[in-house]
Amino acid sequence: MQKYRGHHVRHWPLIAVLVALSAPLVVMYVYQIIDTVTTTPAGSIIPDGLTLHHWRFLTGPLSDGGPTIWSLAGNTLVFASCTALVVTSVSLTAAYALSRLNMPGRGFFLGGLIVLHAFPTVTLIVAVFLILQYMGLYDTLTGVILVKVAFELPFGIWIMKGFYDSVPWEIEMAGVTDGADRFTVWRLLVLPQVQPGLAALLIFSFLSGWSEFILPLVLAPANAPQVLATYLAGIIADDRFADFSLFKAVSIFYALPVLVIYLIFQKKLMNIYGGGTKG
Amino acid sequence: MRQDRIGFLFLTPALIAVVIFYLLPVVMTAVFAFTNMSTATGIRGGGYLVTEQTLRDLSGHGLTGATLSQLADAGYEVDTEGLAALAATFGDRLAGHIEAELGGESFATSRELERALRDLRAPELRITRDRKQAASLFQRSVLNIRHDTADALRDELTGAGIPGGDHDMIIEAAYTGWSWTMRNFELLLSLPSTARYALNTLIYVALTLVLFNVGLGLLLAIATFYLPKPSAAVFRAIWFMPRILPPVLYVLMWKWLMWDNGFLASALAPFGVERINWMLHSEYHAWVAIILINGVVGASFGMIIFASAIKAIPQTLLMAAEVDGATRWQQVRYVILPQMRWPILFVTAYQTLSLLASFEYILLSTGGGPGSATEVWAMAAFRTALNNYGGNLQYGMGATFALVLVIIGTVLSLLYLRFFNFQALLAKPRIER
Repeated sequence: MQKYRGHHVRHWPLIAVLVALSAPLVVMYVYQIIDTVTTTPAGSIIPDGLTLHHWRFLTGPLSDGGPTIWSLAGNTLVFASCTALVVTSVSLTAAYALSRLNMPGRGFFLGGLIVLHAFPTVTLIVAVFLILQYMGLYDTLTGVILVKVAFELPFGIWIMKGFYDSVPWEIEMAGVTDGADRFTVWRLLVLPQVQPGLAALLIFSFLSGWSEFILPLVLAPANAPQVLATYLAGIIADDRFADFSLFKAVSIFYALPVLVIYLIFQKKLMNIYGGGTKG
Repeated sequence: MRQDRIGFLFLTPALIAVVIFYLLPVVMTAVFAFTNMSTATGIRGGGYLVTEQTLRDLSGHGLTGATLSQLADAGYEVDTEGLAALAATFGDRLAGHIEAELGGESFATSRELERALRDLRAPELRITRDRKQAASLFQRSVLNIRHDTADALRDELTGAGIPGGDHDMIIEAAYTGWSWTMRNFELLLSLPSTARYALNTLIYVALTLVLFNVGLGLLLAIATFYLPKPSAAVFRAIWFMPRILPPVLYVLMWKWLMWDNGFLASALAPFGVERINWMLHSEYHAWVAIILINGVVGASFGMIIFASAIKAIPQTLLMAAEVDGATRWQQVRYVILPQMRWPILFVTAYQTLSLLASFEYILLSTGGGPGSATEVWAMAAFRTALNNYGGNLQYGMGATFALVLVIIGTVLSLLYLRFFNFQALLAKPRIER
């Protein structure tokens, strides 16, 4: 197949089109990196010197009396990890039930899953905001985590169900024939089979939590549990300083885990994003 | 344990989450839409409080001046409450003295009470200022006293001698909590901005979807299909990045590209192009910006879906076309595109829903501006209920905006069930017990 594709066909016109289309993105990526370690005279696009000044936030507060980057990173880490762990563990059991267990109402639950998967969760934000206030969880990290988990669940269950569906029935049949109950079969025989799915979902929901902006913005706007996304958006929107190099350095720091994870798990992520995420 | 029991046990955590954060919010959005809840009314039930503002409102509603002044100044009464306050300021001796002489008496004005106090010739009240202060302790007013129930306020009004016919109007005006109303829907239908938001949303969804999610997505998928693997991988990575990057960072890059001291302005300046903010210079700039910003993210979704669909086309079909001497364009037109019908339908159905509700990138880039040129429906809901400049957040009105989207979302995602091969999903589990 590879042979025929490249066969006596010139690629350069195609490449030229793609380069032209991709140029703005590449410019943004390149400057996103070099602007953080260089100085550029106002009104120019060519840097004239090297500096580490834009990274000063690593050792001190970003603004007077503001939080340090490390406490923000800590909050974000707690938020993203809790989200990932809860989404994955709840999906792990729910997806197995939907994929393999014979129970009344299974068709209804499966239909519900597809509907929820497509449903645009952002539209519920007004009601969720008020419900969290009634529950006393407004402005807490716990509240944001719960909502984030709930909003990620349909996707998580959907992905996990796909992994369970591809486990051969023979493995379970063998376990059941040996006299084990379904719980034991799931724990000892099936779980090891879906470990790649488990890892993929952990990574995906961690990234999703790490990048989340709207939910912390709306549901925990106070200073205490602030995460990197809302803080960064806050200083960018603040007219008092328009220091793009500083913003870029902070945002590179913010995106570093994302980039590292992407480089390592590129293939896995492409597949899971293709599995039908939103956005 | 039987498998249906395990099944329900395994589903329970997910079901609880769905009930609390999907079903309940859907119902509550509808409920809140029929209320006037806002920051001012609070979200729990309110109390009854007559303030200066209430008086102004009431006079606008035709309450007589006599009743109004009665509300503000219900006279002076020497009662135990006032005496206790007096004892705290002037000592128990004077309080006992006044109780003995004037206990239980009422006075219409401060002046009358002050005169009565002067006649007591108490050493503590030798100065006029002290007498005025002492008198003020006995003032009875309906103003600024919070009552938990309507009946408590009614009793107070009766006590102050306010005509019974006026009670209902005063109680209604004094209520501080939220109440049921249809006004949100009337507003929604009558405000010109509603039509604007709807039109903005339509333009935004249609252009982003057609040009980028489907159009550019297809172009990228087909182009990278024909390229040798290494260069295809590079272009896919470039276009996949926007999806993986945090939205705040992604929009920051666009801002840097487009602001008035940014890359575009600086790069074009040597050619004599005026330095402008390419993101917010005019409505058209803002529109191009938000469609580009959302579109590039959307294109990656299309690219991934279409690329895997193209990969699934039987190679023999493409080879046969090649052998028959089809040009590359004919191959795309007659072999690849016809196979893309379902993936295109899928991307369209799926992305229509998510674009309809999404406002994250718009909020971060143009903020709906300039003016409200790029304000879409979902963002109007967000702004009205959760984030407006005025500070009084209109939860009820915001919920009404959101309700429209919730209904569209529910209907479309129910329709979406049909897109899926639902029967295949329903394949019966093969183990009986």
